[in-house]
Amino acid sequence: MQQREEKQLEASTESLISRVAHLKNSLHSFIFKLENEYERLTWPSVLDNFALLSGQLNTINKLLRNEKTPSFRNQVIIPLLLSPDRDEELAKLTEQRVPVFSHEIVPDHLRTKPDPEVEELEKQLSVEAARIGPDAAQKQIQTLNKLCSNLLEKLNNPRDDRETESAAVRQNKQSFNPADTTALVAAVGFGKGLAKCRPPGPVAPGQPGQGPMMTGGPTLQQVTIAGSSGQQAAIGGPVPSQQPGQPGKMQSNIKTNIKSASMQHPYR
Amino acid sequence: MEAPPVTVMPVTGGTINMMEYLLQGSVLDQALESLLHRLKGLCDNMESESFADHETVYLLKGQQGNPFLLRARHSLAHPAAPWHLRYLGQPEVGDKSRHALVRNCVDVAASHSLPDFLNEMGFRMDHEFVARGQIFRKGALKVVVSKLFRVLVPGNTENTEPLSLSYLVELSVLAPAGQDTMSEDMRSFAEQLKPLVHLEKIDPKRHM
Repeated sequence: MQQREEKQLEASTESLISRVAHLKNSLHSFIFKLENEYERLTWPSVLDNFALLSGQLNTINKLLRNEKTPSFRNQVIIPLLLSPDRDEELAKLTEQRVPVFSHEIVPDHLRTKPDPEVEELEKQLSVEAARIGPDAAQKQIQTLNKLCSNLLEKLNNPRDDRETESAAVRQNKQSFNPADTTALVAAVGFGKGLAKCRPPGPVAPGQPGQGPMMTGGPTLQQVTIAGSSGQQAAIGGPVPSQQPGQPGKMQSNIKTNIKSASMQHPYR
Repeated sequence: MEAPPVTVMPVTGGTINMMEYLLQGSVLDQALESLLHRLKGLCDNMESESFADHETVYLLKGQQGNPFLLRARHSLAHPAAPWHLRYLGQPEVGDKSRHALVRNCVDVAASHSLPDFLNEMGFRMDHEFVARGQIFRKGALKVVVSKLFRVLVPGNTENTEPLSLSYLVELSVLAPAGQDTMSEDMRSFAEQLKPLVHLEKIDPKRHM
């Protein structure tokens, strides 16, 4: 019976030690990164490191809370031998942190109370708390509570704000105009509605290869909508009205136009 | 004598065979602020870039087929910056399974003598416009919100008038051919801009 308990204690101590070692390693590498690679360190990787640490702390907590883990609190450690001489074995085990097991440091290392520095801080805080008096403290508590509840309310009820916002949007109603979309897309696509840069010639439909081609040549738009009757409006004027041209006729006109254009090709 | 043939075939093969996936829409001037606000929230955490560009579209008439178009763009805000020459292929809009318009796209940086060079090659200016607006990015996605201006006197970018009371909104991605998953990402992004802006696959030919 006793043997089993001892074994359990040993096993859980061992696993605790290994987890703590893992944690120590991660802390070590994180601190190393912070000190040596702070120039290249990105915020996401810092967060990753924090996540790793918090995960490891969580596993340690889980291990301590596990039913199978015997309560370490019930274990008593008694210093059997104190010595003022340097103990190499101990120094190695503690990575040179504790070279001597003497009466001076043992009370600190085996204490169950917080560290002396922590104790000192706590003392300072309680002195501070005693100084301001109960009335002032009560007031401060109330202020803080008020602030917190206000903040919580704001965080929990963003709906009101959102509703007013969406109401404003609804008031404006349409935020876009499909006709404008069409006009803009046509303008970037093939320059519809943009002033033509070249002086237009008086183009007579159905007479390709004639005078106007020699002076100006067809612009893109002329080529593409040639055959419809909107030609004179296509140049320089307002956006031409769309004409339902016959596809067959359009085709033939394009061909002729391009042929005539190639006649005055610059390479010739 | 016959003129030498002008290649009107799109460039294929190699690393420059990129496709542009495009969705377009517009937003009225009064709703611009809301849209910019939303884009700031949705896009990568960066200062949105403002730009003012002058785009000139050049045309070369080949022997057969459609005329050959090149777009030359330069920044008005940074006159020393290189020019940008762009070729855009025929848009493919037919595929219903694809949510964006897809077209071949070649981008080249060019020196300031680009207009003269194009003129010497036989290109002629077809039309020009000025675009002013802002660029946002989210990963590979690019969102351009811009106002288009008509150039009243050819070549004079000081003298312009707005084309309409809306801003053009374009969502685009450059990707190698065949990466159709891109259009899925674009669609989900476009969903988030509704109902402020409806980004759609618009066939420019339908509006000629």
